[in-house]
Amino acid sequence: MAAATEGHDTRDVDFAREALPYMDDVYRFAYSLSRNTADAEDLVQETYLRAFRSWHTFQPGSDARRWLFTICRNAFLRSREKRRHEVEVEEGDAESLASLAAPEDARRDGLEQLLSRVDLAPALQRALDELPEPFRSTVMLVDVEDQSYDAASEVLGVPVGTVRSRLFRGRRQLQEKLREYARDAGFASAGTTGKEQTDA
Amino acid sequence: MPENTPKVDCRSAMQQLWDYVDGELTPERMTAVQRHLGECAHCVPHAEFAERFLAALHETRDVRCCPQDLRSRVVAKLKEAGLTVD
Repeated sequence: MAAATEGHDTRDVDFAREALPYMDDVYRFAYSLSRNTADAEDLVQETYLRAFRSWHTFQPGSDARRWLFTICRNAFLRSREKRRHEVEVEEGDAESLASLAAPEDARRDGLEQLLSRVDLAPALQRALDELPEPFRSTVMLVDVEDQSYDAASEVLGVPVGTVRSRLFRGRRQLQEKLREYARDAGFASAGTTGKEQTDA
Repeated sequence: MPENTPKVDCRSAMQQLWDYVDGELTPERMTAVQRHLGECAHCVPHAEFAERFLAALHETRDVRCCPQDLRSRVVAKLKEAGLTVD
């Protein structure tokens, strides 16, 4: 085995191979939790140190990224002395209704044009940063970090239904923020009432 | 398309739309919604909009990356803690 021939501890080689490549992902998630650079950096360090110390508990073949996200969130909660001020969300049936703007509304509000812009990512990132918890971390995990509902449920320690509900609300709020951005950027059409101009 | 795939109407398709674009429905439901979208000009723009919205969200991955100096500091801390490789 290469690790043995290089004289490294196999455990360390595995850790470096499995965990270190996800530092960007952990940093993004840490930032979404803490919303400031200094705290996010502390959180990343804490996450990796905890992960290294408890690497023996990692199940080989399981999802290292999910495991790191879980450690990161737990470290965040501990750092806040479990001052959870998350607004728990109802899981009512209405949540399953599509939260999308109707396409015709999206067109009128400039959302469609906005989504076509190649430089939308920074604006969308700002909108994401402004999204309140617990929606922000849920949207980050599922929509940015590609975690399944099950994985996000495990990381966040909430039922899958709550993940679904938070996604619904988070996405709706993001669309609303983008709609404002589209208006400010001049993408929304002038005739938002839908009435035709008749003053020829 | 399997004959026993459940039929969905517009309301049902819209209710399941986010789960559909997230790939979180059962295979039968995925097929049923996909079939509805293939036949319904009213619902298809909703699905396209949802997919574009999620694609745009996913692109924010490239906006924020771990700063190189933080990466170095983390590795240094790990070495202090006993890590023997980079």
